[in-house]
Amino acid sequence: MADTGELKAYIQKKFCENVGLPAEEVFGPDLTLAAIISRSERMTNSVDLMESFARTANALRKDHGIRIRLPALALDTPISKVLEVFLQEVERSQGRAA
Amino acid sequence: MGTAFLHQVSNVGAHERRLFELSGLSEGRSGSSRRPVVIAELYRAFREEGRTLVEILWEQHRFHEARRWNAVELVESVRPEHLTELDRLVVWSAGQAEMTAKPSADRMTRLADAECRRWQGKDDALASVIQALGSWSRYWNEEESHHEMGFTQLSLQLGFPPPSDATVIDYRKIFPDDDLLRTVAMLSFSEGIAAVNYGQYARHVREPALKALLKNVGADEVQHMQYFISFSKALVDSGAYPAKEAFAVAHLFLREGGELYGSAREHVESRNTHTNWWDHLGDGAGEAAVTPEALERKRSLILHALKRITGISCATPQEVEDLWMDLVGE
Repeated sequence: MADTGELKAYIQKKFCENVGLPAEEVFGPDLTLAAIISRSERMTNSVDLMESFARTANALRKDHGIRIRLPALALDTPISKVLEVFLQEVERSQGRAA
Repeated sequence: MGTAFLHQVSNVGAHERRLFELSGLSEGRSGSSRRPVVIAELYRAFREEGRTLVEILWEQHRFHEARRWNAVELVESVRPEHLTELDRLVVWSAGQAEMTAKPSADRMTRLADAECRRWQGKDDALASVIQALGSWSRYWNEEESHHEMGFTQLSLQLGFPPPSDATVIDYRKIFPDDDLLRTVAMLSFSEGIAAVNYGQYARHVREPALKALLKNVGADEVQHMQYFISFSKALVDSGAYPAKEAFAVAHLFLREGGELYGSAREHVESRNTHTNWWDHLGDGAGEAAVTPEALERKRSLILHALKRITGISCATPQEVEDLWMDLVGE
């Protein structure tokens, strides 16, 4: 089973691949979801953002066997908070599986 | 000059009535006894049955004509002294909400025109479907105007202050463009939600004219939902617009804390691009919109619409999320 640090890096990597932005541009300044949408050429609105979350969650399920529920967050939420929610979901999912 | 103008205005009603009688627009005089319908299999109608836009647009027109009602007459027959405080709040809130229908319809028209031209020569049946959508949007816009005018004028009669010009202009901000299927699916869901809201209000109102007004508006919203389902299904049937987009929008509405909960959500997004009507229902109206019964009806309508659009049946919001995630892939 992957440790939290490894999973955190994996989630960051997959999310950034999906939105088409480098990790340092997203997580470095801790962008809000609204700022990510406006900077990403692949996204026009929050539906695209939801899809990026879904793709990240699907990759997590495929590569690590972890199934999580998607967060519903306001557009002024910073990406660090999103990551935290993802990791809480991972923890919840692993706790249930144990 | 002023007198001449007033004379002309006073004669407009009689002239209009005469012209309407002469034009024979009503179904009874059209030469066809067949009841007009919303065409459910629109892509097939163009692609396999060789229907033409002129035929489809005439059906739209017959349907529109057959369903028209008079907002002015209904509003004038409401007896304000028989309205409760909640009735009054609902009227005001509905007027505010309906003000955002025009920019929504304007966006739809513009988007449909651009998409129609994009498909010409590549899939002509699809281009015709989208032209039918853009053409129908004129009836939709006009019917929404009945709603806005009716509720706003009635709220003035009830003593509410008129919205300022700045407010009206702000509420008219055109919605940002998005994928066409997402847009049309979103409209089918929001029309269903509006229909449930009006149905809920109508059941509680005792004053007969206001009850009739709410029922007429609600029936219009149901018809709009039917049309948007038909157009969405045609887009999916064409194979050019993936069903996942309709699922994405259904998920956006149905998920916990999603759009379905409107102004009752813990966090309503603050936008400077446009105004979503469901984000701004007033106190009494906002609460009535999220009673357990109302929410259940809304969920059922969205799940029904999603099935009609995509052919895929889901029984719960969780199933919608699961299927959407499958369709999205990695």
